[in-house]
Amino acid sequence: MKRNAAHWTPLVTLAAAAGLTPAVVFGADYLSVAQAQKAMFPDATAFVAQPATLTDEQRKALSAQAGTRVNPALWNVFAAKSGDTLLGYVIADAVIGKFQLINYAVAFGPDGTIRDMEILSYREEHGGEVRTRAWRRQFEGKTGAAPLQLGEDIQGISGATMSCTHVTEGVRRLAVYVQTVLARK
Amino acid sequence: MHRPCSIPSLTAIAAAVALVVSPLAHAASPAPTQKLEAKLDQMAQQLLEMRGELAQLKQENVQLKAQQQQQAQTSQQTAADQATLKSQVDATSQSVQTALAKPSPLDNLNIWGYGEMYYSRPTRQSENTRADLARGVFGIGYQFDDKTRFNSEFEIEHGVTSSSDPGEFEVEQFYVDHKFNDSLSGKAGLFLIPAGLINENHEPTNFYGVTRNFVETLIIPSTWREGGLSLSGDTKFGLGWSAGVTTGLDLSKWNFTPTSPLYTSALELQNNSVAPMQATHQEMALANAQKLSGFVSLNYRGVPGLTVGGSVFNGGTVKATPDMGSSQRVTLYEAHARYQPGPWDLSALYAHGSFSHTAEANASAAATAAANGQSLTNPMPASFYGWYLQAAYNAHVGGYRLAPFARYEKYNMAASYEGVGSGFSMPNGFAVPHDTVYTVGANFYLNQNVVFKVDYQRFKINRDFSRIDLGLGVTF
Repeated sequence: MKRNAAHWTPLVTLAAAAGLTPAVVFGADYLSVAQAQKAMFPDATAFVAQPATLTDEQRKALSAQAGTRVNPALWNVFAAKSGDTLLGYVIADAVIGKFQLINYAVAFGPDGTIRDMEILSYREEHGGEVRTRAWRRQFEGKTGAAPLQLGEDIQGISGATMSCTHVTEGVRRLAVYVQTVLARK
Repeated sequence: MHRPCSIPSLTAIAAAVALVVSPLAHAASPAPTQKLEAKLDQMAQQLLEMRGELAQLKQENVQLKAQQQQQAQTSQQTAADQATLKSQVDATSQSVQTALAKPSPLDNLNIWGYGEMYYSRPTRQSENTRADLARGVFGIGYQFDDKTRFNSEFEIEHGVTSSSDPGEFEVEQFYVDHKFNDSLSGKAGLFLIPAGLINENHEPTNFYGVTRNFVETLIIPSTWREGGLSLSGDTKFGLGWSAGVTTGLDLSKWNFTPTSPLYTSALELQNNSVAPMQATHQEMALANAQKLSGFVSLNYRGVPGLTVGGSVFNGGTVKATPDMGSSQRVTLYEAHARYQPGPWDLSALYAHGSFSHTAEANASAAATAAANGQSLTNPMPASFYGWYLQAAYNAHVGGYRLAPFARYEKYNMAASYEGVGSGFSMPNGFAVPHDTVYTVGANFYLNQNVVFKVDYQRFKINRDFSRIDLGLGVTF
């Protein structure tokens, strides 16, 4: 037993050290909504809350277009402004991964193009890779007109299919909303 | 209200002007008088016109006032409506929040499950056709807080479990997981070893083909779990790692002297625990834990759709026979890659395992067998390996997903023997422990939780194992 422990100690320590080094952010939340807003629109002077109120018909139309149920109850919609100039929108939302809530935020240009996507908190056991820049970057430049479908224009993460599917669906709903409701104004 | 002007007072002024002017008119000569009269008439006319205009103004003023009042009323009404609406919305959201906040022990409970059924028909030996409820698995999880979670899975294999039936009831997973921070978590209990592409993601919707591939059944044990402690984490650039200390194998479970074939079909090959590690892992059933094992696994997922990784498992084991002097170790390593560009799903895996001191183990077992009038019919292999290449294409057809696939795989459960004569060969009727298998088939996804499967598998050496399979898989 002693020999076994000695055999493995260096490897375990090495692996633990490799993982610990970049782990500087503690706590359940990776980013707060305010931090995400600032990171997404550094030039904005104000983020004006703009609650999403949808009529039943609008909701049905959006659901049909997005291909998933739309429920804006969890959405936190903000208009990013610099003085009177509209820079775009930030929407914070949450979806269930496999069991746990995944909080994320999406930044849109005034025309409804996705500028950025951030994972605010991720609690699932597997699939933490949705936080990598490489995975999130897949959404950039797309609009509600894109498929925004896992296995089509968004590649999944092996072992975290549920989390990837649900985040992608969430982003699609927001993109369709921004494109058809906000960007039209 | 103040009146800016009124018609009676203007009339009075006009009359006064007329009175002042008329004596002057009389005093004047007739011609100027006529002129004055004409002027007076003109003024009277103008006065009348003014009166008319004033009346109109007054009327407009009244209308305007009425409109203003109406507008004020409307806006008051709107404000009142908005207030009512707001209070209604507030009340609703409050009641929703109250309902959500209502503490219930069930809020933290998760239940899930998966299962699969096979119909397996060997094309050359249809008497071995079997229909099997291969497994029904139900999971129960409990979230203690944001960071700590309990997971468990319970499995019933082959439909009926009793002393006279083929089924088994097993605890597949039973562990506590704790997140120390975003990038580091730990596990304690009975958990799946992170080896290969399927072991940790073995739900039927996650792999192609009715049954799991042979390499990840015979070389890497299928649903392989051990008891112990592990740490795992991920990094911002997409490298995930896991390392742990666990229970290991009991090589004394190896059957050196079977008198009849241990398996006569592909399904039995997968089910009968005949493979080196499948036959000797302990699954925490009163596991002999004198010797410990350890593992390290790495997976890079920094490019969307790509997984490249590998793992090593190494540990001391319970030795094969009590008579042998040396203690034995097991080493299993594997490397894998999976790439899913768009609808394509391409994967490759290589796995290699070895047991140490098998010459001594086989010699010792042979001596015991000879003393009992038996012979060594199934020596313990020194090494075993397998690999496969697989390609699948996910087509979306009318809201359904159809994924045809093809796989080429090789397994060798006894790549080398030690301590057996070079002339050793399997007894007659025993299947060769290595083969090449070609599989073609398709997964048809009714939705992401339900899959129907069909495949044809061709065995190159053990040709009687070639078969057609049908399957149904469910996960939720």
